[in-house]
Amino acid sequence: MNKLTKIIFKILGIFAAIYGILFAVFYFDLDGKFLFYIWEPMMVKRFDNMKRKDNTLTPYSSKENVSEDF
Amino acid sequence: MKLSEIKDTYRKLFVVEKSPEEKNKPKDLKKDLKDFWYGKPHEERNLGKLYVDGTGLYKHREWRGVKDTMYYFNMIWLYNYAHMVTDIMKYGGEGPKSLVDFAKGTFRYRWMGQTYLSVMHWFDRGLEGMRGDALAASAWHYRGMVSETIRQFMCMFASDKKLHGGKTPERWNKNIAHNETVSGNIFYPFRKELEDVALEMIPYFVSVHVNNHTVLNYIDAAQSIGLPADPCPMCQAEYGLFVLDDYPDYAPTMVTSNEACDGSVATSVLQDWFLNRPLYAMPQPMRYDDPLVQEHCQKEIEGCWKFIEEQYGVKFDWDEYVKWAKSFNKLTEFEWEKWDVAANTKYYPINGVAQALYRIYYSQDGDRPIWHEMDEHVKRIMNKTVKNKIETFPKTRHRAIAWSCAPLYYSNWCTWAYNCWGINCVINMDSLMFDQYLRTDTYEHALEDLSCFNEKAPMRAMAVGGHEHILSLFDYMERFNCDMVIMYDQLQCKGMQGIHGVFEDEFRKRNIHAIWVPHALPDKRTVSRKEIRRIINDYMTTVMRETPLDPSLLDFDDDQSW
Repeated sequence: MNKLTKIIFKILGIFAAIYGILFAVFYFDLDGKFLFYIWEPMMVKRFDNMKRKDNTLTPYSSKENVSEDF
Repeated sequence: MKLSEIKDTYRKLFVVEKSPEEKNKPKDLKKDLKDFWYGKPHEERNLGKLYVDGTGLYKHREWRGVKDTMYYFNMIWLYNYAHMVTDIMKYGGEGPKSLVDFAKGTFRYRWMGQTYLSVMHWFDRGLEGMRGDALAASAWHYRGMVSETIRQFMCMFASDKKLHGGKTPERWNKNIAHNETVSGNIFYPFRKELEDVALEMIPYFVSVHVNNHTVLNYIDAAQSIGLPADPCPMCQAEYGLFVLDDYPDYAPTMVTSNEACDGSVATSVLQDWFLNRPLYAMPQPMRYDDPLVQEHCQKEIEGCWKFIEEQYGVKFDWDEYVKWAKSFNKLTEFEWEKWDVAANTKYYPINGVAQALYRIYYSQDGDRPIWHEMDEHVKRIMNKTVKNKIETFPKTRHRAIAWSCAPLYYSNWCTWAYNCWGINCVINMDSLMFDQYLRTDTYEHALEDLSCFNEKAPMRAMAVGGHEHILSLFDYMERFNCDMVIMYDQLQCKGMQGIHGVFEDEFRKRNIHAIWVPHALPDKRTVSRKEIRRIINDYMTTVMRETPLDPSLLDFDDDQSW
């Protein structure tokens, strides 16, 4: 087996391994489990504690008519 | 963590429990191989056993046979994850640099960071149990919606002052923000120079379908400042976004609407207060059959065009309007073709949830290249199923039409209903709206059709647009050869609540099987998904006296599910 064939087989092997891992992630719903048990609680915590502008302080200013017809 | 706890967690998350009968069953290698290759027959699937209790997650995703599992893995799961990345780069306008805007948006907005990353589970819920052409065609509809969602939020993020340290990005001045119920068609004359992006469609509407946890924050926020809890929760969520300062600041103006009801008028008023920038309120008439109303509606649209011209300094472009309207008409023509196949054959390859969401999305959003691309895929599949007479939903016992506004947090109920009971929801009210061809021969005709299109918006024509439109259910039921009605009962929709008794009388008089499905649009706390299933189960067992196709789907807990 020459060097080039070996490299091709090595690349194919790497692709096959990645493909197999991705299939396992898909089949066992590991993406869903990660998002549900780890990502989402982390995000909830972040957004619950986020400092936000108090929009209710916006003045009740009246604007001019935007069009002369209405 | 103790070893026993690890074992318990492993069992909870990955092991599908077998019943004693299944355990004691003698091994049949030939059948096992057949099930592996082709997937189990519908009645033996036990889809309900795949769920992790309470979460809606899967212990493992369904094995649909080699061909369909590999199709799902390669052409749906991998394909969509990969295309989401390319879409982000494409629509962000700055190639790989757009990923930075995406990350900023993810960590800034709850509706993005908490919601959209779980999008593949939206596919899973909607496509559960589907096989072959029905799986493929329905998935293309989902793909179209995902791509268009990415286009919109990337446009928002790339133009958002909040994500750029308060500075005004170049694209900010080129965007028109509008209420999600203002049709994208209105803005065709300006699309050469301006981009129209609905403000609440992505932060609120689509997000609820993907992950219904987020919206509850916005509903509660609206009530926290003293606003009443009984109007439509859609409107509450829309202004809740503003109370929580969770809207992107991506455009200098806003076009709002009174659609669908008085609740939306409140949204418009509150948005005017919170946004504090030029705003044009474009009302849509309720009793639109009156010819005098048409003239008024057309003037409102022309007023909107004038507002845009004044605010942006761009001119109304008739040729641009014609180009987009003609292109949109092609989508309408294909929709009619789809309806024809759905109504008259057993070969329609799109399931109830994909049909409903795709139609309401593209017709509200207006013409975009992605819809044509998706329609080409679906057309190819549909031509094949019709030509080869492939029965796409072979376990159909009842052809149902769903009427009124659907529960957004359980839009995939129809996938469950088919898998569990063989109820095939072939068409729904939201699909039948916006049924209007846009003439482009003269300005007058164009304006006339555009105003009619606008009046046939979701939740307007057939929900609060007068009893003659609401009761057109019975005409459509006949045209689509349906033998059952799933009647949505939006508990906070005052319009539809008012006509509840009329429907009861009509169902009795016409001897129609109708199942009332109560819900509160985006708010799963009022009527849970489990409760919706219980109501359908009760009707099917007590009135129809039928047995389920898959008994494992009768009762399961998915309260915390997305």
